[in-house]
Amino acid sequence: MRRPSVLILLAVSVVPTFAGLAAALWFGLDAAGFMRVLDTPGIGLSLASSVWTGAAATLLSLVLAHLAVAVSVTGGWRRRLNAFSLPLLAMPHLAIGIGLALVLAPSGLLLRLLSPWATGFTEPPDWLSVQDPYGLSLIAGLIVKETPFLVLVLFAALPQVPAERLMLQARSLGYGRLKGWMVAVAPLLQVQIRLPLAAVLVFGLTNVEMAIPLGPDLPPTFSVVLWRWFIDADPAIHAQAFTGTLVLLFVTVLAVFIASRLARLIAVLWRRWAESGSRLRGERAVRGALDATLGGVWSLGILALVAILLRSVSGPWRFPDILPDSGELSTWSAVLPVAGNVAETTILLAAATAVAGVILVLPAAERLRHDAALGRKLGAWLFLPLLLPQMTFLFGVQVLLVYLGLDGTFAAVLWSHLIFALPYLWGVLAPARAAIDPRYLAVARTLGAGPVRAWTTSTAPLMLRSMLLAMALAFSVSIALYLPSLFAGAGRIATAATEAAAAAGSGTLRLAAVHAILLAVLPLAAFGAAYAAGAAVFRNRREVPR
Amino acid sequence: MTASMYALTVRQVRLRVSGEALFAPLDLHVPAGTVTSVIGPSGSGKSSLLAFLCGTLTPEFEAEGCVLLGDDDISELPPEKRGLGILFQEPLLFPHLSVRGNLLFGLRADGGRRARHRIADRELDSMGLAGFGDRDPATLSGGQKARVALLRVLLAKPRALLLDEPFSALDDANRAKVRQLVYEEIRRRKLPTLLVTHDENDTAHAAGPVVALTPP
Repeated sequence: MRRPSVLILLAVSVVPTFAGLAAALWFGLDAAGFMRVLDTPGIGLSLASSVWTGAAATLLSLVLAHLAVAVSVTGGWRRRLNAFSLPLLAMPHLAIGIGLALVLAPSGLLLRLLSPWATGFTEPPDWLSVQDPYGLSLIAGLIVKETPFLVLVLFAALPQVPAERLMLQARSLGYGRLKGWMVAVAPLLQVQIRLPLAAVLVFGLTNVEMAIPLGPDLPPTFSVVLWRWFIDADPAIHAQAFTGTLVLLFVTVLAVFIASRLARLIAVLWRRWAESGSRLRGERAVRGALDATLGGVWSLGILALVAILLRSVSGPWRFPDILPDSGELSTWSAVLPVAGNVAETTILLAAATAVAGVILVLPAAERLRHDAALGRKLGAWLFLPLLLPQMTFLFGVQVLLVYLGLDGTFAAVLWSHLIFALPYLWGVLAPARAAIDPRYLAVARTLGAGPVRAWTTSTAPLMLRSMLLAMALAFSVSIALYLPSLFAGAGRIATAATEAAAAAGSGTLRLAAVHAILLAVLPLAAFGAAYAAGAAVFRNRREVPR
Repeated sequence: MTASMYALTVRQVRLRVSGEALFAPLDLHVPAGTVTSVIGPSGSGKSSLLAFLCGTLTPEFEAEGCVLLGDDDISELPPEKRGLGILFQEPLLFPHLSVRGNLLFGLRADGGRRARHRIADRELDSMGLAGFGDRDPATLSGGQKARVALLRVLLAKPRALLLDEPFSALDDANRAKVRQLVYEEIRRRKLPTLLVTHDENDTAHAAGPVVALTPP
């Protein structure tokens, strides 16, 4: 192999993933263990609620995302949808989860906004509106986060499809904007987003970040059960978690398989719908309902952010009041010294992930710039960790780290973060590198620049904006990661995510809110800084690629 | 299929981008079953004119004038209500549907699934494409694709046809055949047709008036 840069990337990402999986199998395959897991009271219900919430949230997010793309592109407000999606994309699951718990709770922001004038409540009602047994609040939380993600992915797929002409063709055949898009364009987009969609499904089935603050409690989703076992001090219960992650892996693989079968069935029905020749009437009403739903989803996301901000600074907060009594900085003053340290670790880790990630990915992107097929293949391999339940292979990774004496080190946590940042970095940097006209480099070389100087003077500046975006993305991914920090950090590395999750897990939402602010603000700041830096450097240059 | 008996009329159409007119005010009258050609160099506003007729002009354009089908002013209707069929340079068959699926997408709904399938297969047969229904459009030759695209448009029962350089992507042998087929169908179905092209062969075979888009 003459591609060391590619091999290094694979070594960083895929090797530990497989090693972790192998270790998980080695330690987890144990018949008695399986019996103990399956004998746990309520475990069937836990599994069912994992599958139900993950599947329902994925399906609804997919439908909403397709409809949102359809109405925004054909209605001419694509840029607005993009702009609205960014803050929701940047905020980690954990932050939105904690924020939504604060919004939807009986004493939450939503009911405060409506009380007493609309509801008549002067006391918080006795409702189970978060952590409800049907997992509805968890589904809502996942939708708030996954819909904008799928919208982004669909937009990324859009340039591969001659959407405008297909639409013109469909409309000249007598179809309205909605059915025209859904039948002529959406299926072509759908085939391109299968991998990210599978990742959304897997995350929905296996996440703890949203299931801890929002998921059902008696019993919790299966992944939360495993998470509790993992942090249990009793070694027997801890060991049970190993076997449990294999059950999780099995359920996930099965669910993805069933989903892919279901997708084929839907594709057939979809073609039937196209072939029925029916031109929809009343599209306007559908669009109206859709605008309202999207508005609702987006408002929930923004309310979540507001709720985190308010709750973290508030002291006692009497029920129907929309704003806390006095801006008591009680929580802040109590946690500020600790939060300061946490912030430092979090930022350091995220910055290291961004820098190390770009340094790892750039040479491979350079190497594969003319080989689109191999580039896509590498991208798929790097994407693999996003298609597995994080817990399953991270458990294994943790055991290996202990064996190597590396657990709890900064380097180990950094590595675990890189595994999850690399697919995004590759997704941004590889196409950006491939898109640069090779003749720029030729011009630089023929003008007498050596390979290094040619790269630094022609290629690097043209990629600067993409590099900044990629770094902001990797930075945000790192901020959001919880389980990797927990497992590789062995409880010794405290990040905003680990602290927020621990606080949310023990029910102290106010403390969780303080850490969630860091979670929410740092990614937004990173994207803002990346954009501003790009704009400042190239303020007098119009044709530098974005 | 009932024959259309409308004329397509374009009255005093002007298009402007940031105040600047693209061409001199345009008047056209296209009787049923005839082809009028509009020619002009690239950048003369041909595609913008088509977009205006279809109702898909982007907001940076200011448009004046109206489009009539028979006596109906269709200028304010959404694209799908205008009854204008359009054929592009590329056939733009939907790649995820079979050949028959593409035709069924065009075919206006009536009858059950079986009946609709029969209509589609009969039409394929009439174009010399019998047995092609289940094929992937990607496996068809350029001339075959062009014929399927033509059928698809006709099955949607348009009241007029717009042709956007529909023959220029075909090789010489196919171009003559497809061109003849299209013009035959236009005459048979009495469709008023506007052809936009820069190929003088197309206009010669259209045997109708030729209008040049001139700068204002």
